[in-house]
Amino acid sequence: MAAKQGWWAKLRSPSIKFSLLTLLGGGFIAGILFWGGFNTAMEATNTLPFCISCHEMRDTVYQEYKQTTHYSNPSGVRAECSDCHVPKDWGPKMIRKVQASKELYGKVMGTIDTPEKFEAKRLTLARREWARMKASDSRECRNCHTLDGMDLDNQKSRAAKQHENAKAENMTCIDCHKGIAHQKPEGMTEEEAGG
Amino acid sequence: MNKTSIAASVVGLALASMAGSALAAPDWSKAQTREVTVFHPGTSGLEWIMKGTSHGGAVGMSKGETCIGCHEHKKTLKIDIDTDKILNAVKLEPKPLSNHVGSIPVTVQAANDGTHLYLRFSWKEPKGGAEKMDKDNPVKLAVMLDDSKVVAKDSKGRDMKIGTVGGCWGACHTDARTMPGADDKKTKYVKGGTLANGQYYDLIQWKSGKGAKPVDGYVADKRVMEGGKALVSAEGKKDGDTWTVTFTRKLTGGEGDIALVSGKTYNMGFAIHNDHSVGRFHLVSFGYSLGIDAKADITAAKQ
Repeated sequence: MAAKQGWWAKLRSPSIKFSLLTLLGGGFIAGILFWGGFNTAMEATNTLPFCISCHEMRDTVYQEYKQTTHYSNPSGVRAECSDCHVPKDWGPKMIRKVQASKELYGKVMGTIDTPEKFEAKRLTLARREWARMKASDSRECRNCHTLDGMDLDNQKSRAAKQHENAKAENMTCIDCHKGIAHQKPEGMTEEEAGG
Repeated sequence: MNKTSIAASVVGLALASMAGSALAAPDWSKAQTREVTVFHPGTSGLEWIMKGTSHGGAVGMSKGETCIGCHEHKKTLKIDIDTDKILNAVKLEPKPLSNHVGSIPVTVQAANDGTHLYLRFSWKEPKGGAEKMDKDNPVKLAVMLDDSKVVAKDSKGRDMKIGTVGGCWGACHTDARTMPGADDKKTKYVKGGTLANGQYYDLIQWKSGKGAKPVDGYVADKRVMEGGKALVSAEGKKDGDTWTVTFTRKLTGGEGDIALVSGKTYNMGFAIHNDHSVGRFHLVSFGYSLGIDAKADITAAKQ
């Protein structure tokens, strides 16, 4: 068994110089640095500047979002892309990030790289998000909003009535609030419109 | 019998017979008031109203929710409608409307005397100055009544009592005259409505023009502006900048007149054509229930 004394062999052999404690401590710190680095890099892909670094997003849905209450409102509380489109919990977040790597493929292939191509796919893309939100009972909405926390007396009559009904019928936010941050696509069905 | 007592009894008889046949105007200070806000509806015809993709309330309507159930605050009676968006042509209006008002608060009262229904509307005239569409009539006010019979189909094809839910909207369509792209001769209509099947609105209208006669008609498969026998009078007067319009209508009439019965409720909507306007440029009310000696949004109690 002639073991080559290369780097791999060196890694697999027991340490001569360092104690177990040193190795464990060093590994622990390295792990923190690695984890922190991984997380920082991943969270960087959740920031608004990152999302709109692609013109496909910047020139379409970002412009639409800027006209809505999630961008500018009396309390100054702003929801950015990842607040609605990326789950906060680690497990769902990892799954979503892996799924999102498909977008890199789309970027390379240019599937929505012109306004016309985007409009042609708008309904499909929207439906994908609506389905994802419906499946999680509007989890990203519920990161900030709850029906129980709503001061119905201080809402407009229409809003208060609809939220009362939603509570009574166990509805989920996305049942009605499609188009809350981006233009509603053409071709929505009546079912999609009202839960 | 001496001459004085004969004379007195003759006068007494004459007075009594006059009182019997004369219409005593109700004591309006005793009639309940209801504040109702009329508003500019833009191009919101029934077809727009019934689509969930355009009007979020459509789903509720299919379940019997009335317009005021969502659009009128239960305590303040303020209406929730984006009239600014309509007047600025952001929504439901092709071109911005200058010199048109978004809404007018109106005080509504009703009463009955066993034989007649009295309806009284009072409001402060807002600033005008828009293009004169109806040169003869500065103001018009129309009322439509439904005996909970007018029906419209929702997006799933189910019948819905639109008169009960939405008052006049059963007769308002996006292809009626003054709607964008509509035939100038097409009047209000109830789809599938006929006098025979009872799906019609009884219509009465007061016009402010000099010598203008009140209208008593109906809206079935089209609008008919005459033929009603129930309307006795429609009078309007302006006191300063406050208009008061009173309708006197027999409880029962003829064809095209809904028979009003004590103890029952009906559906009512009204509209003011302010500032020489015509067609869809009226300020309209939502649907309200009208009760003859019965509790409703607007109660016509016996006096």
